[in-house]
Amino acid sequence: MSSVTPAIESEENSDALPDQTLIHIEKLNAWYGDFQAIHDLSLEIPKHKVTAFIGPSGCGKSTLLKWINRMNDVVPGARAKGRLAISGDASNDHAEINVLDPGLDVVGLRRKVGIVFQKPNPFPKSIYDNVAFGPRLHMKTSKSELDELVEWSLQKAAVWDEVKDRLHGPALGLSGGQQQRLCIARAIAVGPEVLLMDEPCSALDPSSTLAIEDLIFELRTQYTIVIVTHNMQQASRCSDKTAFFFEGKLIEAGPTEQLFTRPQQKQTDDYVRGKFG
Amino acid sequence: MSSIPDAIVNQDAKFLTDNAKRRKRLSLWFYFLCVAIALISVVILIVLMVSIWSQGQSRLSTDLLTRAHSELEIERSGMWPAILGSLFVCGTCAVVALPLGVGTAVFLEEFQPTNKLLRWIHGFVQLNISNLAGVPSIVYGLLGLTVFVYMFNVFGQIRVNESAGMEIMGYKHFYQVLTLEPGHVVFVPQSDPTKRQTTFDEPFQAVDPDGNPIKISIWTPGTPKPSDPAIRRQTVRAGAIGGTITERNWYYFRLPFDKSFLSGGLTLALVILPIIIISSQESLRGVPSSLREASMGLGATTWQTVRDVCLPAALPGIMTGSILAMGRAIGEAAPILVVMGAAVAKSSGPKHLMDDAVTMPVLIFNWAGRQQDEFKELSAAAIIVLLVILLLLNSTAIYIRHHVQKAQS
Repeated sequence: MSSVTPAIESEENSDALPDQTLIHIEKLNAWYGDFQAIHDLSLEIPKHKVTAFIGPSGCGKSTLLKWINRMNDVVPGARAKGRLAISGDASNDHAEINVLDPGLDVVGLRRKVGIVFQKPNPFPKSIYDNVAFGPRLHMKTSKSELDELVEWSLQKAAVWDEVKDRLHGPALGLSGGQQQRLCIARAIAVGPEVLLMDEPCSALDPSSTLAIEDLIFELRTQYTIVIVTHNMQQASRCSDKTAFFFEGKLIEAGPTEQLFTRPQQKQTDDYVRGKFG
Repeated sequence: MSSIPDAIVNQDAKFLTDNAKRRKRLSLWFYFLCVAIALISVVILIVLMVSIWSQGQSRLSTDLLTRAHSELEIERSGMWPAILGSLFVCGTCAVVALPLGVGTAVFLEEFQPTNKLLRWIHGFVQLNISNLAGVPSIVYGLLGLTVFVYMFNVFGQIRVNESAGMEIMGYKHFYQVLTLEPGHVVFVPQSDPTKRQTTFDEPFQAVDPDGNPIKISIWTPGTPKPSDPAIRRQTVRAGAIGGTITERNWYYFRLPFDKSFLSGGLTLALVILPIIIISSQESLRGVPSSLREASMGLGATTWQTVRDVCLPAALPGIMTGSILAMGRAIGEAAPILVVMGAAVAKSSGPKHLMDDAVTMPVLIFNWAGRQQDEFKELSAAAIIVLLVILLLLNSTAIYIRHHVQKAQS
């Protein structure tokens, strides 16, 4: 692949390594105006794994997700205190990125931490222009490099075969599941390290959901994925680590299998058995 | 609370069917009422069109489209300078109002106020715009008169043969002097533009009407006049007075703007600015916030998001609002009358930035008020032309909008 291909491809055998923590969250508190959405939350998100956030509506899981790439900046009255840091890599001399630093370059952060939303939200442009949108913002690429990058991203997002004949057709003409995979391709195209997914399947039908889940499983080897989901089967199917939130607090976090089969807390047990929520 | 209430159990079957019938009948009546109301406005429009057509149709000719207003040849009067004037005034108006209006809408909708001062500015601007939209246009005319025509008199007043305000570029002043040869004038480049007249007592350098430099000598009354016309052409009577004449390039610029098409266009821009801002705001608000989030999530800055996502998605709506606003501008007469005056004798379109102009509504207003029947018919014909031009402009804009919309989806 050419130089525009993200550097993360070199770390192929990450499964063999012990868990490295990529995102460190310590004593995080977050508010919307006077309402405290997150209380004293500490959590470690492992590198190149899928971490699922589960919990009933309004438990703060989406809020936390959106703080990881500062999407909350545009919400009036949203603020957070505590530590939320992303481990550095060779590209920035292993210096930690302090996400909550008000002086942080948010544009650079969001390039590193991509996000996929609940409802597929392709731009009303062509499929090609959707994927090329991010690269055009951040990179200086020739036409052929950009073509290659678009194809690579669409292939990674497992939607290439379905759209290769109509790259310049409207993105809004795709089905919901295809649109969501296009959005994932669009996020991948800027070469992020982390992919945040905010209930990426909740607006999709079962077969599209399955396609996205397979994709998440595939992408895990190269990206650190954080997924918010209401669907506990989904969390158990495609995540490595699961964190259970309730009323703005982290109740329990651990390996997915353990959390679903031998939860330590009664609330977790009740929730995963479907007693409430 | 377990037993079902009586009102549900004991229902009168006859009442139920009668009631349903009555309500259906009422609904039908209401439908007819709505159709009638809708038809009334259509009928009024048709009556208006037919009466204007029957009055003006006989005067529709190439003369009307190509000639200027004439007091002497009333039946051959035309509206060509007014068509040009309206295009210039509305062109100025569009060039000024569109960027300002869309820019303000973007500021208000897309840039979140981050501190107290900005929040205050947002609120203040929004409040003003909502109020300005309801101000009668004649009030804008008076505003334009003070701000653009006179500029609070800080650059001096423009008076014929006295002052030209503060001239900035695109002009050359000459003294125009009559020679002894009847009908021949020469021009002297003028060094002091504030001095509008000068007296010639000594020989001087001048240029003839073709621009060739010539030396002018002085003839003192009492001595014999030179007989050769060529020499007479280069001789001026002692004590001759030269009045100022100005040669203006198209980019002639001076302050204040006086009764120029620029003043008119700027005033109309004020009139339609609130309409453009409000409709642009509406269409920006209609852009789903999910698109903004997608763009921000990819690391786009606010400006990149506005330029690449919000504006393209809002463009059809912004264009619709702008078309309506321009339609209003082209038909507006009141502020134009205040700012540019009611004179219709202009024989050509504007020649330079500060030139005055006639607009179609003003010409129609003038013609409609005349005693002569010819002018009354001409004004009806001019109305037909105005309506056709308006329709043409609108349909072009709608066509472009449709094109943009199709390219997007």
